[in-house]
Amino acid sequence: MGVRALLRAAVRELYRRRSLVELLYCVIAAPLGIAVPVVALGFAIAVGWMTPGPGKPDNASIVGMAAGLAVVLVVAPPVARRFGALYRFLAARLLGEWIAAPPAPRRGRGPAGRLTAVVRDAAGWRAAACLLLKLPVALLQVYALAFWITGAVNMTYPFWWGLFRNHPPNVQLDPVMVFTPLGQFKIVTMFGTLRALVVGVVLVLCAPWVTRAATSVDRWLMRALLGPVGLAQRVRDLEQTRARAVDDTAALLRQVERDLHDGAQVRLAALALNLGMAKEKLGEEGVVPDLDALRELVDAAHRGAKDALVELRDLARGLHPPALDNGLADALATLASSSAIPVELTIDIPRRPTPAIETIAYFCAAELLANAAKHSRANRIEVRAAERDDSLVLTVADDGAGGADPAAGSGLSGLSQRVSTVDGRLAIASPPGGPTLITVELPPRA
Amino acid sequence: MRVVIAEDAALLREGLIRLLVDRGHEVCAAVSEGGALLAAVAEHRPDVAVVDIRMPPTHTDEGLRAALELRRDHPETGVLILSQYIETRYASRLLEGGAAGVGYLLKERVADVAEFADALARVAAGGTALDPEVVSRLLRASRQAEGLTALTPRERDVLVQMAEGRSNAGIAAGLHVSAGSVEKHVASIFGKLGLPPSEGDNRRVLAVLHYLRS
Repeated sequence: MGVRALLRAAVRELYRRRSLVELLYCVIAAPLGIAVPVVALGFAIAVGWMTPGPGKPDNASIVGMAAGLAVVLVVAPPVARRFGALYRFLAARLLGEWIAAPPAPRRGRGPAGRLTAVVRDAAGWRAAACLLLKLPVALLQVYALAFWITGAVNMTYPFWWGLFRNHPPNVQLDPVMVFTPLGQFKIVTMFGTLRALVVGVVLVLCAPWVTRAATSVDRWLMRALLGPVGLAQRVRDLEQTRARAVDDTAALLRQVERDLHDGAQVRLAALALNLGMAKEKLGEEGVVPDLDALRELVDAAHRGAKDALVELRDLARGLHPPALDNGLADALATLASSSAIPVELTIDIPRRPTPAIETIAYFCAAELLANAAKHSRANRIEVRAAERDDSLVLTVADDGAGGADPAAGSGLSGLSQRVSTVDGRLAIASPPGGPTLITVELPPRA
Repeated sequence: MRVVIAEDAALLREGLIRLLVDRGHEVCAAVSEGGALLAAVAEHRPDVAVVDIRMPPTHTDEGLRAALELRRDHPETGVLILSQYIETRYASRLLEGGAAGVGYLLKERVADVAEFADALARVAAGGTALDPEVVSRLLRASRQAEGLTALTPRERDVLVQMAEGRSNAGIAAGLHVSAGSVEKHVASIFGKLGLPPSEGDNRRVLAVLHYLRS
């Protein structure tokens, strides 16, 4: 690109709406970005100053500053969220950068719960981090503003030079300082003001680019910290769990096909074969010569039909336990009653979760009970299903040998994967020697 | 007739043995996987092997692979494949080396004992027994083919039976028409499909299949 083309591009850039809007954004955001962390820090120091402590009354007390910081910490997440909203508004209006608001903070119950909820507000903390990191970004924006301001000022030198420098001969005047963001120089003559003019023009022509760089860093910072929590991470998690869910479904269908192929289909084919042979033995008409063989064949066919029915029923139940139609409580009761080890069941689910969640909870309980029966050598099992903090919590505890290890068998890790497909969690506490406590936490709807 | 059975479901295996023994055939061996099938055939040199497609260890197509090996190493032994599904691709692979002494039937066909026994005998004698399902799939796959559309529904019925491996007399009995009219239909089909008329069931099947596949 030639010098002329570069110059033309720079001039065009100067008149673009985008450049002016970014300038406006910097004018608003830079003082705000500096003021907020400085005020917060100042508040902490001021509290330290006012709090009595060792070394008073002249010095700030460390204890007091710590107290001030603690107050800032508690206040930070909600206040940071407000400022985050303001920045999102500015970014959307001026920069056209639409950032989705993070989900509203959880509300805890009771004073302690509320405090915990505030302190654990991840989105609030990320907003606070954003406000802190805004400080260097704001300094960068000030630097960009300096291009505009010094550029504009320097361009004016030739115009007022004559007004102030019409001194009588032999009077020695100090040289005039010309400031730029990149350094400073002195001018003493009218010719020097032309240098200042040229420098000013260059600065103003460069200003949009520097401003763009500063706002770009700001945009990036806001996108990263003011949006919903770890959006990219969330997408990755969802991709993984979706892949697992799809694999699960494929594996399940394959298993069903195999069960049908090796089970009911074989039984029905054998049944048809027996009946076919029986039909042959019966003949078209008249006396049946070999009644014993015929009886045997019909008997085998009858048995085969019953076996096929059992097989199909088990398979169907494995796909969807009919007891689940009446809710998790009924289904778990049915499950508990068929357990080899006595099960104590406690259920407190005032609101019914969605069917998908119920099904997952049911299969978790079934698998965990089966595991306990197989490995734990427990005398009793406690199964609890309760609604807690807007989630369904299922716990299965036994007084057995413990040592359940998700790495050893695929059962537990499979459950964990299944649970994670709906953003649930599975926690295992099973020291060698027992007891075992497995907690499954599921959202009320998938 | 001397038979080797390869079927991993014990229930069906026993049923097949009983059926064959009942009808006076000799079951030389009944095995449950492909490798054992090859060994048993090498040892007993049976007239025909009844082979389940899906067997251990992979439960996919080891029966078919064993059958293809049998076709190569013991062409004198007929192979009747049993399967719960019809895969036209399997059928084509099986028929690549020729349709003589080859059968491919759905498992449920064993329920029609007499027909199954007939099909088995046909394969043992070097004939062909294709499941009507196989034929209709192949027909469906080549429905667009020119010539097929020119067939009358009756001729199509005859073509299906012909592809299953039946003789003219068998077709006549199956469709309840006279042998003469079957002959007429067959001649007309060959004419419309552009196949040279020839003697012998297998060549007819081969010709028809070749046409259907092309």
